[in-house]
Amino acid sequence: MHIMIVEDDAVIRQELQVLLENALYQVTALKDFSDVASDVLAGEPDLVLLDLNLPEESGFDICTEIRAESEIPVIFVTSRTDSMDELNGMLGGGDDYITKPFQAPILLARIAAVLKRTCRNTSKEAVRLTHKGVELDIARGMISHGNRQAELSKNELKIMHFLFQRKGEIVSRADMIEYLWDNQVFIDDNTLSVNVTRIRGKLQGIGVRDLIETKRGMGYRI
Amino acid sequence: MNAAEYIKDKILLLVLHMSCMLLMAGFLHATGYETGYGLLILIFWLMILAVWLGVGYYNRKCYFRELETALEKMDQQYLLGELMPVSHRLEDQLYKEMIRTSNKSVIERIRQIEDEQKEYREYIESWVHEIKAPITSIDLMCENHREDITRRIHLENQKIENYVDMALYYARSDEVYKDYVIQKTDLEETAVVVLNRNKRYLIQSQVQAEVDCRDLAYTDQKWITFILNQLVLNSTKYRRETGARIWIRTEKYRHGVRLIVKDNGIGIREEELDRIFEKGFTGSNGRKRERSTGMGLYLCDRLCRKLGIVINVNSREGEGTSVSLEFPVSNYLLKE
Repeated sequence: MHIMIVEDDAVIRQELQVLLENALYQVTALKDFSDVASDVLAGEPDLVLLDLNLPEESGFDICTEIRAESEIPVIFVTSRTDSMDELNGMLGGGDDYITKPFQAPILLARIAAVLKRTCRNTSKEAVRLTHKGVELDIARGMISHGNRQAELSKNELKIMHFLFQRKGEIVSRADMIEYLWDNQVFIDDNTLSVNVTRIRGKLQGIGVRDLIETKRGMGYRI
Repeated sequence: MNAAEYIKDKILLLVLHMSCMLLMAGFLHATGYETGYGLLILIFWLMILAVWLGVGYYNRKCYFRELETALEKMDQQYLLGELMPVSHRLEDQLYKEMIRTSNKSVIERIRQIEDEQKEYREYIESWVHEIKAPITSIDLMCENHREDITRRIHLENQKIENYVDMALYYARSDEVYKDYVIQKTDLEETAVVVLNRNKRYLIQSQVQAEVDCRDLAYTDQKWITFILNQLVLNSTKYRRETGARIWIRTEKYRHGVRLIVKDNGIGIREEELDRIFEKGFTGSNGRKRERSTGMGLYLCDRLCRKLGIVINVNSREGEGTSVSLEFPVSNYLLKE
């Protein structure tokens, strides 16, 4: 997926680029704002992050120009929070709107949501993950080994999902808790330990031992 | 003004008449004028004087009553000079002129202050928007370099953002009517955004949260996010030592939807409960714990009033606090 960043603040632009690249998007950042609309159209991105306060032209006008030619989804980024801006954003053909300062997970979620709405052909995230013979079925919330399986609670599923995404890596507890908070599981350190213990119990129940290693002072690893 | 006061005011005039009467009586007596006729003259004199005073009193009474009614009816009482009743008396005319001049200067001063205030508010607003760019940069840098130190920087940065927001909303709270869009608002999403914004602070404070907001409310998303943010920060600030929790949930009631933020924190003393919405009130909790500005709940209350939301606080010291926001369904139009 190709995302184009139109942002005049150099630091934000650079950091946004890193953030999106880390999230595995292909990123182009515009540095010249003399003719944004044609640059965007020439770049043919899948999505545009458009700042509202640009030196030459306002983001709204640029959006209108883009809209005249193409249906590329546009997400406005701005530090103004007046409602008038919001209304204009919707009228100018923007697909979504995010205000600075934004939380990175929320920005990523908005981008993903807009892309999902606009590009039907995006490959879906795998719903079954396997590691060391253990299979995690995210859609059904089950974990299985051979022909034995156990049901996971919402919290346990999120924890396992994160560990499965980072097979072989040591996942720090801080990262784990932040990931959970980003995914609407608002728990503290103790509850994480309790959940991990419970997962271990369930894994033992289906005949898996020592799948989750505890690295003292560092975190967990599968 | 009553009759006695009026007479008292006219005492000099009365003394003058009395002396004149005495002098005339003495003069008439000395010249051998007949006493009967003399008395008659005095009686007429007294009658004329009484009628004069009576009419004068009635006139003044009417004049001032008119003035008082005008004053009561007026929206801005300093504009009295313009609405003073017409009077043929020189004194009244002079006073009117002077009051008008004085009023004019008051009006000019008020305009000037209003302008200054408006400029100041606009400056604060634009300043807040400027400062948000560096806050965003710092946030993104921390996000792109996840380490222990950037986590701590991010946490402090979040505090800056919260304080900056308070300044912005304080500057704006007078003009809510210019800046709101009542729309169907997903309270679940609002709660999740608020918790995510403060996740580092909440995680560091070992607070757990639960969200169960299935009901939708008709309100302004931006303002409700601000209010909810203040409530969550308060719950975190005044948490218990271990096992601190925050519950954010909604429930339907007869006239609409209620959003409840409940915690199991240290609670508020009963005798302080009535004062928590006062500007600058910090209470015993605010002084004991982290620094408190006494602005958070004051702003919440003020915004709720403007948005037509009913805010209620229940608390028991040592057990926890629960704040409920009631969104009346039929009555979502801006008040005031």
